[in-house]
Amino acid sequence: MDLGETARQGRAGGGNGGKAALGPGWRGGLGLVGGRWKRRMGENLKSSVQLRRAVVLSLGLTVAFVGLAYRLVDLQVVRHPELVEEARRNREREFLRQPRRGDIVDARGTLLATSVSVRTVCADPVLIGDQQALVARLLAPLLGQSELELQQKLLPRVRWDAETGRAVTNRYVVLARKVPVETWEQIRKVMASLEPPRDSPLPRAEQRFLRQLSRYAVFADPWEDQMRWYPNQSLAAHVLGHVGLREVTVDGVRFLETRGADGLERTLDAQLAGVRGWRVTETDSGRREVVRLRDQDVEPRDGWTVVLTLDAVIQNILESALAEAMQEHRPRNITGIVLRPRTGAVLAMACLPNFDPNRPAEAPEEARRNVILTDHMEPGSTFKIVVVAGALNDGVVRLEDVFDCEHGRFSYGGRILHDHSPYDRLTVEEIITKSSNIGAAKIGMRLGEQRLYEYIRAFGFGSRTGLPLLGEMPGYIPPVQRWYKISIAQIPMGHGVAVTRMQMAMAMAALANGGVLMRPMLVERLEDRQGRVVAAYQPQMVRRVVSEEAARATVRALKTVPTREGTAPRAAVPGYTVAGKTGTAQKAEGTRGYVPGKYIASFIGFLPADQPEVLIAITLDEPQRGYYGGQVAGPVFRKVAERVMQYLGVPPEPSPEEPPVAWAAGESSGRPWVDSRWQQTN
Amino acid sequence: MVALLCLGFGALGLGYVWQKNQVDRLGREIRLREQRLAELRLQNERLRRQLATLYTPRFLEQRVRELNLGLVPAHPSQVWRLPEPQGWPEPRTVAGRTEAGRADPG
Repeated sequence: MDLGETARQGRAGGGNGGKAALGPGWRGGLGLVGGRWKRRMGENLKSSVQLRRAVVLSLGLTVAFVGLAYRLVDLQVVRHPELVEEARRNREREFLRQPRRGDIVDARGTLLATSVSVRTVCADPVLIGDQQALVARLLAPLLGQSELELQQKLLPRVRWDAETGRAVTNRYVVLARKVPVETWEQIRKVMASLEPPRDSPLPRAEQRFLRQLSRYAVFADPWEDQMRWYPNQSLAAHVLGHVGLREVTVDGVRFLETRGADGLERTLDAQLAGVRGWRVTETDSGRREVVRLRDQDVEPRDGWTVVLTLDAVIQNILESALAEAMQEHRPRNITGIVLRPRTGAVLAMACLPNFDPNRPAEAPEEARRNVILTDHMEPGSTFKIVVVAGALNDGVVRLEDVFDCEHGRFSYGGRILHDHSPYDRLTVEEIITKSSNIGAAKIGMRLGEQRLYEYIRAFGFGSRTGLPLLGEMPGYIPPVQRWYKISIAQIPMGHGVAVTRMQMAMAMAALANGGVLMRPMLVERLEDRQGRVVAAYQPQMVRRVVSEEAARATVRALKTVPTREGTAPRAAVPGYTVAGKTGTAQKAEGTRGYVPGKYIASFIGFLPADQPEVLIAITLDEPQRGYYGGQVAGPVFRKVAERVMQYLGVPPEPSPEEPPVAWAAGESSGRPWVDSRWQQTN
Repeated sequence: MVALLCLGFGALGLGYVWQKNQVDRLGREIRLREQRLAELRLQNERLRRQLATLYTPRFLEQRVRELNLGLVPAHPSQVWRLPEPQGWPEPRTVAGRTEAGRADPG
C-alpha cells in the first residue's frame, strides 16, 4: 500500500458518519479495529513526515557540508598561497632599524654636529571620522602648523584603485616629519586624553570610535628617523656642510633618509651614515610587538664619529675677527685659514657671509659656497714668495743681490709695470719688504720662464690640495707655451694666474715648514661609538719644493714685512716674530679687464717665524674701506694671531733686553708641571 | 601503569604550558627593558645635547659677559712658564696638541 492509498482509507473510515451507519452492535468491534487502524495510520503518517523531514534535513546538511568542503578546499588548497601570504602580512611586521648618524667633533672633542632622534607623525583619516577639527585643534600647536592646514591633511580622500577596480580611502597621511621625540610624547598624551572613561554615558558605538581615535588615529612611522643638529650654529658651517633628505626604497618601503648634502657631511657620508639593521617580528591586535615571536633581529651599525683637526675655540676666534672686519670694511666676502705648517692640520677655516647648517635653505647660495676652495683669484703680491724662493733655491739670486727698480716705472713687452712707490735700487730682501713689482719681475726674468713655471707647479698651484671638501678648483696656471712676453714680468707679482686661497696658504706653509709642502688635513681620525679608533690619518708630505736653506732665507725676508719698513706694520704681533706677505690684487672681470676700485686684499703670515706654530691667511674680497693687504687684512691677522697664541699658550719669544726670569723660577720650584699649570690659569 | 603514564603525560603538558608561560613572560620583560633602554638613551642624548650647547664658545663668551666677572684671556707675557719634567713626553695628536689637554705651549 502506498502512502496515498493509506491516506485515502483513513479518510474514508475515520469519520463519525461511518460509525453511526453500522449500528450499535458493531460499535465495540469496529471501535477496536478502527483504533488500531487509526494508530497504524497515525504512525504511518508520522513516519512519513519524519522521513520527509529527515530527507530534507540530510539534503540540506549534505549541501551545507559540500559547501563547507568546497570552501575548505578553496581556502586550504586553491587560495592557500595567497591567504598564507595575507595572514603573514597581517601578523608579521618588518622594521628597518636606522643607524645613528655619526657625530662630528673637533680635535678636543667639542661636538660640532650630532643627530637627534625624531619621528614622522602620521594619521589615519578613516579612524578620525568627522573629528578633523578637534584633532587639528589639539595637534596644531604641537606640530607648529595651522589648524586649517592640519584639517585639510586629515580629510579622507577617495581614489580609484585600478588594480582591484574599487574605490579606496587613504589611511596614511604624513602630518609632520622630523618631530622631536619629546613632542611626539606630548602628542601621544594629548591623543590619549580623548579616550572615554570606563563609566562613560556615551553609546557603545561612540565609545568604540573614540577609543580607536585616541589609540590608533595618530601614530608615528615605525622606523626611526633622525635630525641633524649643529649646536654651534654657523660655526665652521662651510667645513661641516649640511644634510638633506633623500627618498630611498628598501624592500618596497619608501621613506626619506638623511644624507649629506654638502661639506664633510657629504664627502664623509659613507663613514657617517652607518649600516641599517632590521627586525622581523609579530604584533598583536594592539600593534604591540610579541617579543617571543621575534624572528630576525639585526642590530644597525652606527655611523663613525669624525674627529677633525679643527679647534672650535680657534674657529670662534677666527670667525669673530672676520665678523668685525666684515663690519668695518664691508667686503663682498672675507675668508680666513688657520693651520699648522708642520703637519698641514687645519685648525680653523671660515668664510663670511656664512649660514646656519640647521637651516641651510634660509641662506642664499652665495653664503653657502666655501670660497676658500671654490673661487679663483689672482693672488697679487703674496705670490712673490714663489719666485723669490725659487730663485734662492736655484742660486740665481741671494738676499743681498741688488736690483734696479727703475724708479717705479719699468717698460717691458710693450707694457709698463708700476710700483706703488718709486724705488731705486733694492736688494732681494727689500723687494719682499717693500713688495716691489718691478723687482719681482726682474727676479722672475733671471729665474727663467720654464723654472718659474716648474716652481709654481711644485708649490701646488694648478692642482687640487686634496682637502676632503666638494667643489675645490685646481686653479689655472697657463703652460709656458701659452705665455705672452709680458707673462714673465706679470706672473712673479701674482697676475696672470688663478689660484685658490687654500693653495696660497699651503704654499706659504711650505716655506714655514722648511721647504716641504704638506697636504692639508681636516680629518684626524674616525672612531666608533665606543671611542675606538677605526682609522687614523697621518700628516702627508706632498714634496720638497725648495731646500731648507732657501726656505730659511725666504723666511728671513718675510720677517721684514710686518715691520715699520715693510708693507704690513699693523700685522706685527707683540712678543712674537711674524713672517708674512701682503697681497693687493686688482680684480679682473670678464672682458672688462681690471676693474678700478675692486681689489682682493690679503695677508698670509706665520708665527713664531723661526719655529712656526700656526699660519694664518686672511683675504678680503672687494673691501670698501681701504684695500691694501697690509692695511685691511694685516690688522685682522694680528687680532687672530694674538688670541690664538694666547689660547695655544705659545710662549712669547724673549727679547734680547729681557732675561727669561720665568724659566729660572720654574727650575727652583721642585714641582714644575703643577706650578706651570697653576701659573697658566691664574 | 596507566595511572603513571597519565601522570607523566599530565606533567609533560603542565611543563609545556609552564614553559610557554615563562617564554611569554620573558618576552614581555624584554620589551619593557628595551623600552626603558630606549628612554635612557633618549635622556642621555638630551643631556649630551645640553652639554654640547653649554660648551659652545659663543655660549661661554655670553655667560662671561652676563656674569660680568671681568675675565679676559691672559696675555702670554703675563704667563710664567716652567720647564716640563724630562723623560715623560706626552703623546701628541696630529694637530700638534698633547692628549692630556691644552697645557702644551708647543
